[in-house]
Amino acid sequence: MAEFGTLCLYLALATSGWALIASYNGGRARLGELVLSAERAVYATWVLVLLAVVSLEYCIFTDQFGLEYVASYSNRALPKLYKITALWGGQAGSLLFWEFILVTYASLIVLTNRRLNRPLLPFVVATLAFVSTFFLGLVNFMARPFVRLAFTPEDGNGLNPQLQNVFMAIHPPCLYLGYVGLTLPFAFAMAALATGRLDDTWFRTTRRWTILSWFFLGTGILLGGWWAYVELGWGGYWAWDPVENASLIPWLTCTAFLHSVMIEERKKMLRVWNLSLVIMSFLLAILGTFITRSGVISSVHSFTKSDIGPVFAGFLGLCTLVSVGLLLYRLPELKSEHRLDSFVSRESTFLFNNLILVGAAFTVLWGTLFPIISEAVRGVKITVGPPFFNQIMVPIALALVTLAGICPTIAWRRASALKLMEKIQVPFWSLVGGAVALYVAGVRDLYAIVAFSLGVFVITTTVMEFFWGARSRQKVTGQKFGPALLSLVDRNKRRYGGFVVHLGFVLILIGVTGSSAFKQEGTASLKRGESFSVGRYTLRFEDMVSRDSPNAEFMGARLAILDGGRPVGTLVPGQNFYKAGQNPSTEVAIHYTLREDLYTIMTGFDPQEGRATLKAYLNPLINWIWIGGGVLILGAWFAMLPDLRDRRRDAEARLAEAETRAA
Amino acid sequence: MAQRISRKIVITVVLLVAGFAVLFSVGLKGSLVYYLTVSEFKDSGRRSDLGDNFRVNGIVKAGSIQKHQGAPGARFVLTDGKQELSVVYNKEVPDTFVDGAEAVVEGALGADDVFAAQTLLAKCPSKYEAQNRQPR
Repeated sequence: MAEFGTLCLYLALATSGWALIASYNGGRARLGELVLSAERAVYATWVLVLLAVVSLEYCIFTDQFGLEYVASYSNRALPKLYKITALWGGQAGSLLFWEFILVTYASLIVLTNRRLNRPLLPFVVATLAFVSTFFLGLVNFMARPFVRLAFTPEDGNGLNPQLQNVFMAIHPPCLYLGYVGLTLPFAFAMAALATGRLDDTWFRTTRRWTILSWFFLGTGILLGGWWAYVELGWGGYWAWDPVENASLIPWLTCTAFLHSVMIEERKKMLRVWNLSLVIMSFLLAILGTFITRSGVISSVHSFTKSDIGPVFAGFLGLCTLVSVGLLLYRLPELKSEHRLDSFVSRESTFLFNNLILVGAAFTVLWGTLFPIISEAVRGVKITVGPPFFNQIMVPIALALVTLAGICPTIAWRRASALKLMEKIQVPFWSLVGGAVALYVAGVRDLYAIVAFSLGVFVITTTVMEFFWGARSRQKVTGQKFGPALLSLVDRNKRRYGGFVVHLGFVLILIGVTGSSAFKQEGTASLKRGESFSVGRYTLRFEDMVSRDSPNAEFMGARLAILDGGRPVGTLVPGQNFYKAGQNPSTEVAIHYTLREDLYTIMTGFDPQEGRATLKAYLNPLINWIWIGGGVLILGAWFAMLPDLRDRRRDAEARLAEAETRAA
Repeated sequence: MAQRISRKIVITVVLLVAGFAVLFSVGLKGSLVYYLTVSEFKDSGRRSDLGDNFRVNGIVKAGSIQKHQGAPGARFVLTDGKQELSVVYNKEVPDTFVDGAEAVVEGALGADDVFAAQTLLAKCPSKYEAQNRQPR
């Protein structure tokens, strides 16, 4: 099976290479048959890569420890779910998985666009095939998943216990679907630049794909945070770790693009900017994959150790050169057709939102790459700690929220001061009211007051936007309020989906603020019957608990939770001792409420004395991060649903194409 | 008209960029930490002007871990194969902290020539990578 997988990968490299050459040349010389063969080669690549993925999974499931990859990331006792996820447990497998997602997307693009967008398609395919060929080159020659060991070990190493978690089963695929998805708008942008067809086709076609990748990337980031929270046992969810940053950076530029593309749709402005954002997002996604896979930043002087490093750097350089070169070549044709009508307009809020988002992306990028840069320039690795990121990102997040609140109250093109005053009155007073209420309630943390009252502000303007929209629709159609609201939202899915996303973002901000500004913690070393307290909770150590499962042995401390003397539940934090011999892993126990989480870990226990060392955190409002994430996901999905207007436009496009073909 | 608008926009953009620059320099000042190997750290000539806090990377010397009695934390020796550094850490040690693990400590050298670590990270090179134990 391993030989079969190797063969499939070789063949896939050949078909992918053919797709690149044939579609590029076919597109330039307008040879329809050559282009068609390239499109079929994309399908063939998909089948071959799928077969390679299946054979790797087969080797994992049948415990073929003669393969280095299987021996390193799986073992006999590994549960079935984690045998599936072992596919992306290591470098070679995850690169193969990346490639698989890419060719899946590419096949879907060819399938859905083979009748539309004929002029663009050859260059779209060529770009996708170029990226695909690079990754196939990696898995064929640099990071090979099917390498045999000189002997066959009895059992494998098993998957890192920290990765044996349901979140870790969903988080990497989500992140990869996002990273890889950013290749699609990039491919269309390249095609538009290569052909000189710079109208709105390229971004209209990929609009949903872009939202989809943005959505997956965002969901992946959130799940990663949730995983860190429930699994790592340090009470937090985000540490500005290079791997986390790597996924945040392209998400920020992609968010900027999703906003600024609306300006291009309406006013044909910011065309160079939008192309640049798409190019940047793609390059940053590749960089993110590289940072995640190579561990280049996390250890001292590791750049030389990573063998895929130079290859990735070369690929990134080549992509940058080609895309920026093409952009410069078309620069004269990309003049804006309009100008801003007024400084106080919705357009200008979008503009500032974009500047802030891109600024944020570069801040995080700079902080993440700083160790590499300083090593290259001065020969010493200097790291930048979380304070740097927090100091910059907190004001940035607050500025973004402010814009999200103001934006719906400002009209497109030119807002009259009178209208603006009228619309912003209620939200403004709710902001002031919120701030005063918080102060009276005893909140003294400045950032918390600002963040919470801005949250109130955005929620008010957004809800009012729904309200006014439905009202004015009522006037036109004479419907009742409910149906008017529904049909309004249904007719403008992206707009109102976008507002729902804003609400989700605000909830996340509230959760982040609450859990970082008002966090409390306590540590204690207790005998049975003794207790300690965190905030208003008291934890009493009742008993030691032990459980045996095929994979591991669990030792834990049963704690009774008392809320002001009243028992509200029990928690059993503990440690898992794995039979495959890995280090013990901390098993967190959390008492979840909407108001706060009581988060407990057992850091050690002494069987002779019957003493357990415990640590507890009180994380206020933290669950609003995940709830906000859920709202964000709903909004994003809603924004992706097909619009009536789009369908009409597609039908018109198809008709027009049929007419030109007939003529 | 158009010129006035673009001037306003330019001013706002300049203000934004200036704001970023201020945040940046303030943020960088307090959070730069040199990241060195044990030998580089021991090579005292290189650290006179580098600040107070350091990050040092090395391997936990086998058999050197002495856990504190009745309190969290441990004393141990970090080595890079050439030189050694005694470290004391007074918080709970992570699961991955064992003999032979690659570790990163952040803190400063105390008067007794023992490195007082504020944070201790033990090898988990990437969240997605399993522990590096090659079959032999």
